[in-house]
Amino acid sequence: MRMPLFTVIALGVAAVVYLAGKLFAIDYLFFAGYTVLHFVVLATAWNILGGYCGYVNFGSAGFFALGAYTTVFFHKAYPLPIPALIVLAGIVAGLVGLGTGYLTLRLRGVYFAIATLALAIVLQTLVINWNYVGGSRGAYVIRPQTAPIIGSYIEYLFLLMLLLTVLAVVVARAIERSQLGFGFATIRDDEIAAEALGVPTLRLKLIATTISGGLMGMAGAPFPYYIGYLEPSSAFGLAYAVNAIAMPMIGGTTSWIGPLVGAILLGTLQQVASVTISSAVNLLIVGILLVAFVIIAPNGLVGLVQEFLRAATPERMTWRSLGVLSVAGYGIVAGMFGVVFSLSAIAAARPALGVLALVVSVLLIASAYGLLKLQSWGLLLANASFALSIVLGVIELWFVGGVGAGIMHGGAVAIAVAAIVLLQDAGVKSLYRVPPGERRATS
Amino acid sequence: MTALLQVQGLSKRFGGFIALDEIDLSVEKGERLGLIGPNGSGKSTLVNCICGTLHNEAGSVHFDGRQIDGMVAHERTHLGLARSFQLPRPFPTLSLVDNVRIPLLYTVQARSGLLRPAGDLDDRCRDLLKMVGLDAKATRFPRDLTQVEMRKLELARAVAAEPKLLIADEAMAGLSHSEIEDILALLVRLNEQGITVILIEHIMRAVMSFSQRIVVLVSGRKIADDTPDAVVNNPEVVGAYLGQ
Amino acid sequence: MEFSADLLINAIVAGLLLGGFYAAVTVGVSIAFGILDIVNIAHPAFIILGSYIAYIVNSRLGIDPIAVSIVMLPVFYALGSAIYQVYYVSFEKRGQEALRGLAFFFGLLFVTEVMLILVFGVDYRYVEARYIGPSLHIGFVDFPLRMLVPCIVALLLFLGLELFLSRTFIGRAINAVAQDQLALRLMAADPIRIKRIAFGISIATCAIAGALLIIIQPVEPSVGREYIGRVFAICVLGGLGSLPGTLIAALLLGVVESLTSTFYGPSWAPAVAFGFLLITLAVRPAGLLGR
Repeated sequence: MRMPLFTVIALGVAAVVYLAGKLFAIDYLFFAGYTVLHFVVLATAWNILGGYCGYVNFGSAGFFALGAYTTVFFHKAYPLPIPALIVLAGIVAGLVGLGTGYLTLRLRGVYFAIATLALAIVLQTLVINWNYVGGSRGAYVIRPQTAPIIGSYIEYLFLLMLLLTVLAVVVARAIERSQLGFGFATIRDDEIAAEALGVPTLRLKLIATTISGGLMGMAGAPFPYYIGYLEPSSAFGLAYAVNAIAMPMIGGTTSWIGPLVGAILLGTLQQVASVTISSAVNLLIVGILLVAFVIIAPNGLVGLVQEFLRAATPERMTWRSLGVLSVAGYGIVAGMFGVVFSLSAIAAARPALGVLALVVSVLLIASAYGLLKLQSWGLLLANASFALSIVLGVIELWFVGGVGAGIMHGGAVAIAVAAIVLLQDAGVKSLYRVPPGERRATS
Repeated sequence: MTALLQVQGLSKRFGGFIALDEIDLSVEKGERLGLIGPNGSGKSTLVNCICGTLHNEAGSVHFDGRQIDGMVAHERTHLGLARSFQLPRPFPTLSLVDNVRIPLLYTVQARSGLLRPAGDLDDRCRDLLKMVGLDAKATRFPRDLTQVEMRKLELARAVAAEPKLLIADEAMAGLSHSEIEDILALLVRLNEQGITVILIEHIMRAVMSFSQRIVVLVSGRKIADDTPDAVVNNPEVVGAYLGQ
Repeated sequence: MEFSADLLINAIVAGLLLGGFYAAVTVGVSIAFGILDIVNIAHPAFIILGSYIAYIVNSRLGIDPIAVSIVMLPVFYALGSAIYQVYYVSFEKRGQEALRGLAFFFGLLFVTEVMLILVFGVDYRYVEARYIGPSLHIGFVDFPLRMLVPCIVALLLFLGLELFLSRTFIGRAINAVAQDQLALRLMAADPIRIKRIAFGISIATCAIAGALLIIIQPVEPSVGREYIGRVFAICVLGGLGSLPGTLIAALLLGVVESLTSTFYGPSWAPAVAFGFLLITLAVRPAGLLGR
């Protein structure tokens, strides 16, 4: 699909999302939506340098905070409309990215990674010692009551972030399919060979660092208005450092889809977890998922899906493979949310049910992994987990009342039944009956 | 000096270990030079220094009349220097076609400043792969190649950069008799088209038949630089390398 | 702030004591990164873990934190070996250590810190021991014992490791594995096993470093992240793979930090290390005594 068409479609999807939000007209949706979207931008930006070029940036929080503090600075010195602030933040963060890159990119990737960590702390120290932007006490940024045209200010912020997301995704995809993207890939694959073949690796790396840093800064620019009170520990916080890395690595680093999937999935998960459990636990889950994925699914969810498609249906997609993909996708998403809900149940003094739910959720995630890797134990485990989930759903329906819960658990049971039925199909079973040594999904 | 490549007093150390000791080398335009020596004698290190992958501590390298010592590797490639790696270094996430496309995009196109239509590029990639007999596997990935095929890909990539000087570093290791003949014929053909070639090899038969002149490197020092017949009869060369 | 010779000399002395301690904190990374080329940015997290273990035992049973850490050495060693095994199988073997290995250690750093927050909360914890509090006075120079004792222990640890690496077979094998794995195999030593031992030692040093840390200052989970920069700054400044270089760099950093803290205020201290690092990387990446 050509880029102009893609851009139009992306804008179209954004318009649909925005209108859907207006339909429900709940402010909380806009708040939560903003959070998820700014993670999409952050994850996509990180991936341009991390996934495409193979250079890890541990200091994403620093670039994000640069954008936020640029806004704070101008808010105090000379108030500007947010779109202008976004552009300014992008420039500032981009220049800092360029500078850091220039100092360190001639060395090994490891030194760049450590330098980005250093940068984040240096920036934090500078901000803490700079009273004009609030120092360690933080800065209040009063959100205007209304926004031009739109009306509700939070809606305005949401819309801006939506447009920024489209920009980030379009930029990422354009890079991927261009000569620049090829160059980035050679840097990731074998930088020495790339240089020997004429690829100007330093220049390309600097371009990647500038774009990546700039986008991160842009994501940070509206943040002070969103949150109302900006202090260094939240702007430079742990959450941004780990999420910027975890979301693309869990989603998948080789294409623009990965960070999008990772950010939406993990962003939503964290919103739910922050409300139902503590935010510390929610960060713990992200950290554990990062380590787990890096070890067993290094190409992320998108990578798992791509490998599955390549191995199961080399020519074209069939209903069967689509079905298995849906079952596995459901397993992962339901499993992850299930973990969060079960932990909150355990915390809320319903340990027995919570533990059962936790076990089922983890089994669902594991079986989804097995299904995608075309392992025969995956099929077995999937059948068992979905059967168990039916049991769990019935118990929940029995003990927990309410229409909402009823619909949710009833729906879960129905899906589980459908999944088990699908998994009994002869064609599906044959995918998993391959003897070891023959067709193995790439390990 | 009108030599295409002029290396003077080139030295390289790794910590306390002297890898190259004041190497002098000159290669004329259109020449076919063979470079031989035992393992560890510094042949690949020399290539790395000439091409910019490593930096030499002392000495100078002139290419096509210009001093290239300060230049980064990709700049030297743009000037017309290309090499294949002794241990093949393909790009694992790119298909063979795309592997070969990289030097076309980043060297050839960069040099001329012209953008060729995509179709032209594709054709050129296929031609290059066909040249080394890999066009059947054009859309496959390096992990599907045998060691021998990877060496051929290395060569194809180096040639794709349209070099003035091509350095083939052990491109024939592991090849069968007929495959060696094919590669030799290819190198001769390239040479007839005007490309200067430095052949680094252990396969004496190939080196002897191909080279107009042979340089011998032992323990980082050049011990001979002469016609093939003279080198083969040189007692020091025989003692250090050939007569084992 | 008045400038006086007293203040200056005390600041320098404090800096040297601090620097000695920094050497202990860094020696594990010198082994892991300098010799084995493993970028274990989670190293400070294990140090904090060591601190908290010392804290628990000290507050429950009143045992001296340094004694606790010595008992914990085998546990930390085993932990290090296990982590290396996972790292090797998942990343090193497949040549993926650049991106994924880094992300792995970052994940470990993160998970460790968050788990400590969940279990212990964000309050500062400290230990009690007889030498925390009193100071040695020589002329107008103060040697607070809570800094002097850790410094001495740190230097002993450092010296011990330096001797181990240069005099014993395994120690020399560890140095060799960095340079020539093939030669090592020919000498019938398994490089993987050697690396596992080395990494185990690297993490074992965290047990002691952690105890020393909590003697010098109160600890809370995020303190680890401050040390990432210090540790790598020292490693890089000293020159990778050179233990003597690490010591010199550690002392240097300690003194500069102490001077900055005394004359400009403690809130600038974290930036010093990172500033050092960025400058070193830009100007002389091989470090002072690097290979």
